[in-house]
Amino acid sequence: MAAQARVDVGGILRPQGRPDMSNALQPYRETLGERAAAHLLRRAGFGGTPDEVRRYAAMRADDAVASLVSVPSADSIGPPQEADVDGPIDDKIEARDSELALQLWWLNRMLTTQAPLQEKMTLYFHGHFTSRSTRRFPRITYDQNALFRQWATGNLRELTRAVSKDAAMLIYLNGASNVAAHPNENYARELMELFTLGVDNYTEQDVRESARAWTGWRVTRSTATVRFVPSQHDYGTKTFLGRTGDFDGDDIVDIIFSQAQCARFFAASLLNWFVYNDPEPELVERVGTLLQEHNFELTPVLAAILGSNLFFSERAYRALVKSPVEFVIGTYKTLGLPAVDKAVLPALVQMGQHLFYPPNVAGWPGGENWLTSGTMIARQNFLTRLLGSQTLEASPWLRGLPMTPKSAARELAQIVLQDDVSPASLVELEGYLGGSGSAALAMLSAENFDQRVSGAVYLAMATSAYQLN
Amino acid sequence: MMKRRNFLVATASGLAVFADTQHVFARALAQTPLPGLPGGEDRCLVLINLYGGNDGLNCVVPHGNDRYYQLRPALAIARNDVLAIDAQVGLNPQMRSFKSLYDKGVVAIVQGVGYPDPDHSHFRSTEIWQTAAPDRYEHTGWLGRYFDEAEPARENLFKGVAVSRVLPEALISNRTDIPAIPALNEYAMVADRDASARRAFSAAAHDRSVPFQSPYLAHVMEIEGNAQRSSEELPKLVAGYTTKASYPATGLGRSLALAAQIIGSNLGTKAIYVEHGSFDTHVSQRTTQDQLLLEFSNAVAAFYEDLAAHGNDRRVLTLTFSEFGRRIEENGNHGTDHGEASPLFMIGGGVKGGLYGAPPDLNDTNMGNVRFAVDFRSVYATVLERWLGRPSAPVLKGQFAQLPIIA
Repeated sequence: MAAQARVDVGGILRPQGRPDMSNALQPYRETLGERAAAHLLRRAGFGGTPDEVRRYAAMRADDAVASLVSVPSADSIGPPQEADVDGPIDDKIEARDSELALQLWWLNRMLTTQAPLQEKMTLYFHGHFTSRSTRRFPRITYDQNALFRQWATGNLRELTRAVSKDAAMLIYLNGASNVAAHPNENYARELMELFTLGVDNYTEQDVRESARAWTGWRVTRSTATVRFVPSQHDYGTKTFLGRTGDFDGDDIVDIIFSQAQCARFFAASLLNWFVYNDPEPELVERVGTLLQEHNFELTPVLAAILGSNLFFSERAYRALVKSPVEFVIGTYKTLGLPAVDKAVLPALVQMGQHLFYPPNVAGWPGGENWLTSGTMIARQNFLTRLLGSQTLEASPWLRGLPMTPKSAARELAQIVLQDDVSPASLVELEGYLGGSGSAALAMLSAENFDQRVSGAVYLAMATSAYQLN
Repeated sequence: MMKRRNFLVATASGLAVFADTQHVFARALAQTPLPGLPGGEDRCLVLINLYGGNDGLNCVVPHGNDRYYQLRPALAIARNDVLAIDAQVGLNPQMRSFKSLYDKGVVAIVQGVGYPDPDHSHFRSTEIWQTAAPDRYEHTGWLGRYFDEAEPARENLFKGVAVSRVLPEALISNRTDIPAIPALNEYAMVADRDASARRAFSAAAHDRSVPFQSPYLAHVMEIEGNAQRSSEELPKLVAGYTTKASYPATGLGRSLALAAQIIGSNLGTKAIYVEHGSFDTHVSQRTTQDQLLLEFSNAVAAFYEDLAAHGNDRRVLTLTFSEFGRRIEENGNHGTDHGEASPLFMIGGGVKGGLYGAPPDLNDTNMGNVRFAVDFRSVYATVLERWLGRPSAPVLKGQFAQLPIIA
């Protein structure tokens, strides 16, 4: 195996070598096949069921991508009844249960939606425009989640305007206490540092001027409503990123989005999310240009990224670490299970991804930061607990696995790992299923099927390849 | 450049196996003190997070200050009840066992610890204390960076241990895999069903001749190996340790008992994190905080009794912290709201017992909160330089004055 290149930014590794920039973003024109189909479904969504993978495998890349980026309106999606989001909920246990119900509802959307990219982008924005749950006021948490879903493949500038006036965001980054008499700079700073430009692309004076422009937005938590209070807004003249005027928040967003750096910032972020970590500056520049050409409309840009030669290259393949949510929902998808069990909620926390509780305003750092001994044990233990007889029963294909160990091992390697396994490991898998040496079985039997097959699925999912997206 | 461990041995089949696991592990254990830690010897730091915001004024009570009694008509601890240290301050009456430790001269109380422009969010302030970065976002913790800088032998899987379910930010590092071990019986792979599964797992987890390349492949393999080895080995490694200490049957009691067991088993552990709380006493503070302080006091006393019985008490420095103290004036619910500076404790090791920092000024406040007199990074610098024997500037990203607490 070749030595691995490492760039010393914590937890982020870039594939070694350089991409061929002349065709990196040109459309990939092949029929997918199972390996590329599974790759596309893992990245654009949370993985595919065996049926979905087979269906996409027969498609040409452009058709497959077009189908994935065609995302329906989220208007008809309402909050789950079981989460009782309309609170406030004063009882702490009830408030916690409501939050758990909302998490479970979202995870089930990821599993069952016909538009996986919509949920994938909702998760992306949850980690990008971070806020924390306001547990007593579940409506506030739900509304932000719905906002991300509404704009999942929409316009980045419009979403940035909207999330700036979102109740959860106004609470989390103190926008709701930012008034003309006492400006609070928290949101103004993070808007530029973490959400749109990155450090060193603005001055402290820009932060102060932007904070003034954002004054006057207030939140009524009990009704999850946001209102603008003119008497608390600073109508004075501001000078921001070199421009002067009586700016309000929307103006600030427009000025930020007129900077080439903003396009680069989102380009790098999207490449990190969909393709590989620490993308080359030239690549970032090109995707940034695409964003500007499309006026920050995501649909055409996501189509270009997901349909590119680069996306389907070995360079991008398995080049990301699965997040806990990708790991869990991907496992449900692979097994073809119909619904997410609530036992995954504490498991996700132990794996390091507590939905509605990103670790800080910078979101989940991702990359190799997902993996420690403790989170790895949590991943493996999640698998072990899931892979019992009930799951075997609920999986449409595990029951029908061939009874000869060799064929069963091959089918597992193909469906779970797209054959991303060495011949020697395949032999190990077969050996586990059938036993080895003189004790080897020619056929699995009804007596040992559940135990051997659940163990073998576990082993396939415990491979390094399965941790990678 | 990350150094990959060398225990993965490629075989003819292309699989990597744990050929020399036992050998490497034995070698790691023999390395006490660990190499690359000058001055650290076999010392260990135990960090106790008193999470939720421990009210400093009812913990280290300013019983000589009339203003305290004016501002806390319902909550103040009566002068007669305070375990007096001097005419000005004393300890909460529930902390008798802890007061005995103080009287033995092994407890330093640092008063007025905080940081500039304090944040009143539990979440953010906890992050600030754990990452030692009040003015920026760091994804690594201060002890994580200590490990990154000190580079203790990578093959030692227990150089740091968090006794918690989720790895705390303090121990998050760029290069070092630190296990979170809530309890011995919870740090286990439930899949360890039989030898053939274990063998196949080892093979599968170290399949280096896979038909794809990934920049993360080596890292995934390393962590999978660590997870399996450490969960298998830990119960065996600490099995020989017995104790007669009477730990309280509380979460902190159990956590510190495990800490003493790990320390006493000589695994080369340099830092252990435990937590205790919640101290977020907006309502009925006396009931909650007094009980938590009683548990803290008894658990820490049992911990040092246990350590001393095994000759380890001088090896272990314990440092407490809490994300903030609480508002000086009580609220309308017999509680207190989020505040700012508060005292912390350093116990054992080479601590020169006594009072440090500055008693809270209850007149000159920051909008009703205690102003800080000692930057918490000065405490960390003291621990890093004088206890762990490492330069503090690379860890704290700056120079902070040290306190004359550790001999």
